[in-house]
Order: sequence, then C-alpha cells, then structure tokens
Amino acid sequence: MDAFYVSVELLRRPELRGRPVVVSGTGPRAVVTTASYEARRFGVRSAIPAARARRLCPQAVFIPPDFELYRRVSAQVMGILREHIERVEVVGLDEAYLDLSDLQRPRAAMRRVVAEIRARTGLTASVGIGPNKLVAKVCSDAEKPAGFLALSREEACARFAGAPPGLVPGIGPKTVERLAAMGITTLGRLAATDEAVLCERFGPNHGRDLLARARFHDAEQLTLERVPVSESRETTFPQDVADPAEQERALVALAERLCTGLKRPGRTIGIKVRLDDWTTVTRARTLAERTSDPLTVSSVALDLLRAYAPARPVRLLGVRVAGFDAPAPEVDAGQLALPV
Amino acid sequence: MKITCSSAELLAQLQTVARVASTRSAVQALSGVQVAATADAVELRATDMEVSLRVPLTADVERPGSAVLPARLTLDVVRALPAEQVTLELRPSDQDVEIASGAATFHIRTLRSEDFPPLPEPGGDAIVEVPAAAFVETVTRVARSASRDETRPILTGILVSASGRELRMVATDSYRLSVKETPLDRELAGSFEANVPARALQELVRLVPQGGEGDEEAVLRVGVRANQIVFETGGAILSSRLIDGQFPNFRQLLPDSYEHELRINGDEFTDVVRRISLLAQKNAPLRLAFREGEVTVSAQTPDVGEASETLPVAFTGEPFEIGFNPEFLRDGLESVDSGDLILKLISPLRPGLIESADGSGFLYLIMPIRLNV
Repeated sequence: MDAFYVSVELLRRPELRGRPVVVSGTGPRAVVTTASYEARRFGVRSAIPAARARRLCPQAVFIPPDFELYRRVSAQVMGILREHIERVEVVGLDEAYLDLSDLQRPRAAMRRVVAEIRARTGLTASVGIGPNKLVAKVCSDAEKPAGFLALSREEACARFAGAPPGLVPGIGPKTVERLAAMGITTLGRLAATDEAVLCERFGPNHGRDLLARARFHDAEQLTLERVPVSESRETTFPQDVADPAEQERALVALAERLCTGLKRPGRTIGIKVRLDDWTTVTRARTLAERTSDPLTVSSVALDLLRAYAPARPVRLLGVRVAGFDAPAPEVDAGQLALPV
Repeated sequence: MKITCSSAELLAQLQTVARVASTRSAVQALSGVQVAATADAVELRATDMEVSLRVPLTADVERPGSAVLPARLTLDVVRALPAEQVTLELRPSDQDVEIASGAATFHIRTLRSEDFPPLPEPGGDAIVEVPAAAFVETVTRVARSASRDETRPILTGILVSASGRELRMVATDSYRLSVKETPLDRELAGSFEANVPARALQELVRLVPQGGEGDEEAVLRVGVRANQIVFETGGAILSSRLIDGQFPNFRQLLPDSYEHELRINGDEFTDVVRRISLLAQKNAPLRLAFREGEVTVSAQTPDVGEASETLPVAFTGEPFEIGFNPEFLRDGLESVDSGDLILKLISPLRPGLIESADGSGFLYLIMPIRLNV
C-alpha cells in the first residue's frame, strides 16, 4: 500500500490531499510513521524524529496515528487479496506477498486486484512481480506510488545494478557501511564480487547470503501463518528517567499491559533498557513454566532490571515474553481429531 | 546440618529427586535439592511447584538442619566423589555446604532456603491403598496418549479412577484415546477420581521398584485433596497439582458399533507396521488397504521412496483404504500386550479401535488421516 497511514487519513480528510501530510506521535521523542509523497519531497521520511520533520517541512500537517482505523482498513484490503488469491502472506498492515504461481495471467490478475482495492477502499497499491519474494519486494518499491513492475531475476539484476546495496531487504546499514569500506557501493559491483572475498570478510554464511541477495536469488517460501515468537511492549519516556523507583513503576505497568494482551503464556521473560547515551541492553530469563501472569512477569522483569541497575538515566524500557508453547507433535493436515 | 552417608546411595537418591527440580525457574531455590535432616531421618526434596518429590536417604545425622543445594552441580560432584563415604556439612557463616569424601573437599554455595516451599505432607483421612504394580502397569499402557500440547492442559493429564475392585485410567490427545481398566484382587478401601499430570505419573513409574521379588505386594498409598494428589511408596513421597476442568467423557467418544471386526496376530502386524513406517516420513500417513482376505500396509514419502507389505486378514466386504499417523498406530499396537488383537473399523473417515483379544481391558481409539486419493 502506498503511504498507507497517510492515505487512510486522507480518506476522511480529503481537504488535505496534495499537501504535505505527516502521521506521527506528538511527544518530544515521537518519530514519523508515514509521510505523504508531498512531504517526502522535503526530505521527511519514515522513522525520522517528528521534531526534525517539523524543521524540514514546517508547512506540513501533522496527524497523530489512529492504529485502530489502520487495522480495520488493512483487514479490508487483505480480505480483497484473499478473495482473488489463495496463498497470501501478510507481512504488516500494509504489505503482503501473494503466490501467483498457479495463475495463467498473473499480471492481469494483479491489475484486477489493484483496481478493486482502489474501487472499494479508495487506496492505491504498488505491485511488484518476480520469480521470488526478493525480486517482488524490490519491484514493488521501485515505482511507488501506484507502481506496477514485473521483472525476471536477470532483469532485476540489470535494472538495479547501479542501486546501492541497501536497496535489497536483508542488507542493513551496518553491512552497507562495511561494503562501502571495501569499495562496493552498488548492487552490480556486489554481485560481481568474488564469493571467497565476501566469505572472508563476512563469514561463510553471511558472505554467501549477500552474494545471493545481490544476484536476486531467493528461495524463501511464503509463510502463510505467522506464528509470533515473542510479544513485547516498550515505551520511550518523554524525559529520561534516573529514579529507580520510577523506572520500576514504568516496568510494572508495561508488564501488566503486555500480559493483558498476551494470547499465549510464554516461558522467557526479557527486558530492554536504553540509556540516555543510546546504550541498549536486553536481559532475559527463562522459567520452568510458561506464564502470562502479570505478577510473575513483572517480578522477573524487576529482578532483571535491578540486576542490570542502569548506570545512567533511562530513555526507553521494554518488557518481552517469548518461548511460547512447545509445538504440539506434528500431525498431518488431514489428521482427524476426536471431538474433545 | 551435618550428615554422613554412602556416596553411592546419595548419588542414587539425588538422581531420582533431581529429575523433579526445576531446570530454569524465576526462583533459584527451585533449581535446587533440599537436604533436610532431623535427628533420626534424612530426606532429599525437590519441586518445580507442579510436581514435588521427597526421597529418604540412609545417613548418620550428627547435626539436624537443612540446606538447599544446586541440583545439577551437586549431582556432578557426588557422581565424581572418590571415596565410599561422604559427609555433608552446612556452614552457615560461609553460606555453603562442605562435601567431604576421602581427601576431596568441596564448598558449594547454598541457595536461599527461605525460597524453597514446604512440600505437601502425606496422610489425611482419604488415603486409598492401591497395589503399586497394577497402578504402574496401568499408567504405562495409557501414558503415550496424553497430550504434550500445553495449550490444552486438560488433555496433558491422565484421568485416574479407582473404586471397588477396579482401577481405570484414560488419556487422550484428541488424535487417539487410551483406556485401561485393571481389575484388582481386593476391594479398595475407598475411591477417588483425579486428572493427574501425565508427567507426575511418569515420575511415579520410575519411583516404584519393578520386577523385584515381593514387588507384587508393594502398596501405593494415594491421598487426593482439593487440588492435589500425594503418592507414597517405599518411603518416597511424590505429590502433584491436579488439573482443573472436566476431562472428556470417553464413553461418548467410543462408536456404538463397527463395520469390520478383525482378529489379527498382534506381533506380526506390529512388525509390518514398524517396517513400513520407515518410509512414512515427514508426516506422511501409513495406508491400510483392506481387500477380501488381506490388508496391504503401505507408505510413501515424496523424494524418499515407498514401501508396502501384504498380510492375510479375515476381511470381507467392500475394499477400502484408511490412513493413520504411523506413530499413533504404532503406539496403539505396542500398548496392546502381546498376543492377538482386535481391529475394529467403520469407514475411512471414522475412528478405528484396537483392543487386546484376551479381554485385558485395554482400548485404543485412533482417528484416521484423510487420504487425498
């Protein structure tokens, strides 16, 4: 979906169309969740601090996020996808992979899907079609908004040869930096690099993976059902908190909020602490039994926080529960069950 | 606390009790074993808050007292002791226990005793004495059907009922259901019914000495309270929390009648199923194709291979094919004691029933896998 949160907001505030619009929180530390394409021209991008966005584009309209609404609209969009395509992997409120391999005419099918999304929701979507998820993802981003691009793997290699390596998902900023230090600043150059050189620099697994990505090789299957491995709640304080008692109160509140929304009990309880100098640490402990009990979770979280004893004021605190139920014995999809 | 005992016995008892100690817990003391010495008896204790175990230790008590030691480490230390005798002494000022054996000395820091909960005491008024051998036999027949899926706690238990001259246990993970009814030689002096975590009963099975002389007479004392069950056997006390909620009514799950009833040589059939299962990998079903006078057991795993074997059975009527999870079918066949078994079937999508032909009171209901043919 193109600039999803902003686009949804514009549906109910059409008078803002054509103006720079930014969806972001309001606190001193809020970040931009989405910027309209008009705002992006001023350099406003997702994840930059809202304060900086205000400086870059003072005339922009800032709207606080309404996730409830975004979730509803997202569900509607995903529903439309499922009406047309059998295998859908949803990867966020505004993104999904579709398996088109059984379709005779995948492009025509996707044009129909996009048209229907537009007709029924008023929103535009960008489509990327490729032989694997990697090509599809890069294609879908390449011509936003309302993009539509289908490429073979070889075509993708050729078309994005001059793009920076960070264009490809899975090549993060740290790797981009290290590649740049080796003089590798484009995907084309990365694709042409000797595997041995990359393996020596990044280790055999990461090295081979980088080369595969640069050449748009990807064998990843669609994950049709996402099984969450952990759930967490975190909060960034409006002002850094130095007082241990106040930190603990915040941690307990987070643990309670987390447990309230927890669908399954988990075994591992963890905390995340970010100090005012951005030092970020996580600590975790695994229990004998799964729990979703707020008292247990908060007491373990408190224990972990006390053991870490932040040496500087705390900017962010988080609580996490992981280690959900052990997978039940694997059974065949056609296995019938007793009505118990 | 200061005690002296045989290194070998300490090791044996420690190994038993440490199985129950929590491996990873928020409360460190739960990963420990408590050594509790009174003037005339020593007990080793462990708990993970669900299952608790207390085993006796023969020892000379020089000074009563108690200490909680880290289970894993202590076990490793005791296993490696050089001499036949060992002395354990709590040194409160150092907050450790000295373990001395031969010329070797260890000081092991203790865990917080205050955090180690008091364990359930045996006794009370509603004690039922059950022959230990019969109890253990019954557990082992049904335990494999208990669910390991923690999302459905009720099914992770075994429903144990004892009354009159019968002991009955039921377990199901919804894919199969085991029922074992064991007749008892003597009338029980009381009755109980409880959904006991299968894990606790499996610990109990390890605790009851088996096969030795005189074991036929061994007695298990069972006390059921509001949400707890306590077993006493040979000086050991195993207790467990009970599982809340209504256990499924197994009688309603058993079909009223069957289309086919086949008497099969159990050992032969089990062997065939074991062999052919080798080629039923990656959740592939085991197929049983019945035709006049025979059944063909076959399996196929894409990219791996296939196998089949035919054996004679007294089947009559329309041929049909039914699929089962090979592991579930094997569990059922292996739980029937040796000898002939009766296989009862209705149709490819209805449950099948395996029971022992000798009327030993064992039933194994198994749900099929839908075959895409």
